[in-house]
Amino acid sequence: MSAEHEYAIELQGVSFQRGARSIFDKVDIRIPRGKVTGIMGPSGCGKTTLLRLIAAELRPSAGDVRVAGVSLPKLSRDELFDMRKQMGVLFQSGALFTDLDVFENVAFPLRVHTQLPEEMIRDIVLMKLQAVGLRGALELMPDELSGGMKRRVALARAIALDPQILLYDEPFVGQDPIAMGVLVRLIRLLNDALGITSVVVSHDLAETASIADYLYVVGDAQVLGQGTPAELMESDNPRIRQFMKGIPDGPVPFHFPAPDYREDLLGRG
Amino acid sequence: MRRISPLERLRLFGRAGIDVVATLGRSVLFLVSALCGRSRAGKPLQLLIKQLFAVGVMSLAIIVVSGIFIGMVLALQGYNILVSYGSEQAVGQMVALTLLRELGPVVTALLFAGRAGSALTAEIGNMKSTEQLSSLEMIGVDPLKYIVAPRLWAGFISMPLLAMIFCVVGIWGAAMVAVDWLGVYEGSFWANMQNSVSFYDDVLNGVIKSIVFAFVVTWIAVFQGYDCEPTSEGISRATTRTVVYASLAVLGLDFILTALMFGDF
Repeated sequence: MSAEHEYAIELQGVSFQRGARSIFDKVDIRIPRGKVTGIMGPSGCGKTTLLRLIAAELRPSAGDVRVAGVSLPKLSRDELFDMRKQMGVLFQSGALFTDLDVFENVAFPLRVHTQLPEEMIRDIVLMKLQAVGLRGALELMPDELSGGMKRRVALARAIALDPQILLYDEPFVGQDPIAMGVLVRLIRLLNDALGITSVVVSHDLAETASIADYLYVVGDAQVLGQGTPAELMESDNPRIRQFMKGIPDGPVPFHFPAPDYREDLLGRG
Repeated sequence: MRRISPLERLRLFGRAGIDVVATLGRSVLFLVSALCGRSRAGKPLQLLIKQLFAVGVMSLAIIVVSGIFIGMVLALQGYNILVSYGSEQAVGQMVALTLLRELGPVVTALLFAGRAGSALTAEIGNMKSTEQLSSLEMIGVDPLKYIVAPRLWAGFISMPLLAMIFCVVGIWGAAMVAVDWLGVYEGSFWANMQNSVSFYDDVLNGVIKSIVFAFVVTWIAVFQGYDCEPTSEGISRATTRTVVYASLAVLGLDFILTALMFGDF
């Protein structure tokens, strides 16, 4: 299998800066096609930024982001919008349109991008909602849904156009165990049933490791490590060990940098 | 507290200047991107009608009530001054010219900034903070065309109409006070107004003013929402900025337009 077919997404030497701060420095990431890939790392390390670079919502300062072999930074705005029809994104908040009910939220991509008759749109929406277990909630408004239900509706909307790639931004944050279990199952199930490529950006180790075929751990503007969940659990790298085992102090220090504690206490007055 | 050196102060001042210029540049690009080109998603006319209702129709109550009261106050104040010169019949003329030339466009714009402008900023800011704008982009729909453009056009269209309604109800309120209450002769009230109000100099100039104010106020409101920091504090700061910037812009532009239209030079 050629590299072009093996990888759905490739980040080649990608750098990204916000002001003077370097978020990523010449990062190389390759996301295998048809698999669930987890991108993990401590809070604030730039995981969501990475997702936005893949979705071309942000442009890298240097390097290339290729999706299905197409270089995203070189696309015009209109070409980018066409390209995004092949991608679905599940945002952390769900990002449902608050003025539309569940049915219209899921139907939205179909209405704006297709000329399908109303009956067919209804059938597709019902199928997508059935897949996430919320066919019975089609008349509810977003503010009547729980956090977990919002994400499931958003997931139904994200797969409405049958995308090739699904990107998940912190899908497990703030979920109760049942909702989390449902989401974990859905991500794996949809990936396998629809044959899509899934990228899960998360810091929830157990859930992500349980469904991911491959993991990247990012931090310090670099890829700290990569491999299967089992390989990373056995890693000798102290940064990866600290993250994978949840050790409170280590290369990522417990204390924010500060002057000497003794001097700070005695030096006053 | 951290002490700031004079050099650091100068750097911060320079930084603030660069930020202002950058924001102005962004706002112009934002406006051009939103208004140029066609939306490829949704039905533009339906989106516009929905926004005309939200921005225009929903502002009617405050415009009508304010217009009536301002007209009534103008008539009362005008009558008290004019009666001492025996010219109380000119109260209709005074009210009409004041409303058509100045108060109609200006007060409508200020009320519009407070009612519809702040709502537009908060709505778009909330869409940004809840990732609805990002979500649209990811669905392949340009939020500038789908969200911003209908709101801009709705503001451009509705504010001049609201200013006209404001003037009409203001004059009606003035007639109630002057004619029905204070006893000014009805024929003189309307005839003086008819003789002194020029369609081109007064009515048309007032409409031109309100079109300019509509453009500026809506642009500021929508841009502030789109450009705000996506947090609750960011949205509240952006909403405040909309009302302050729009009010100052309206009053400043009013002076410039008045000087151009009515200035004798």
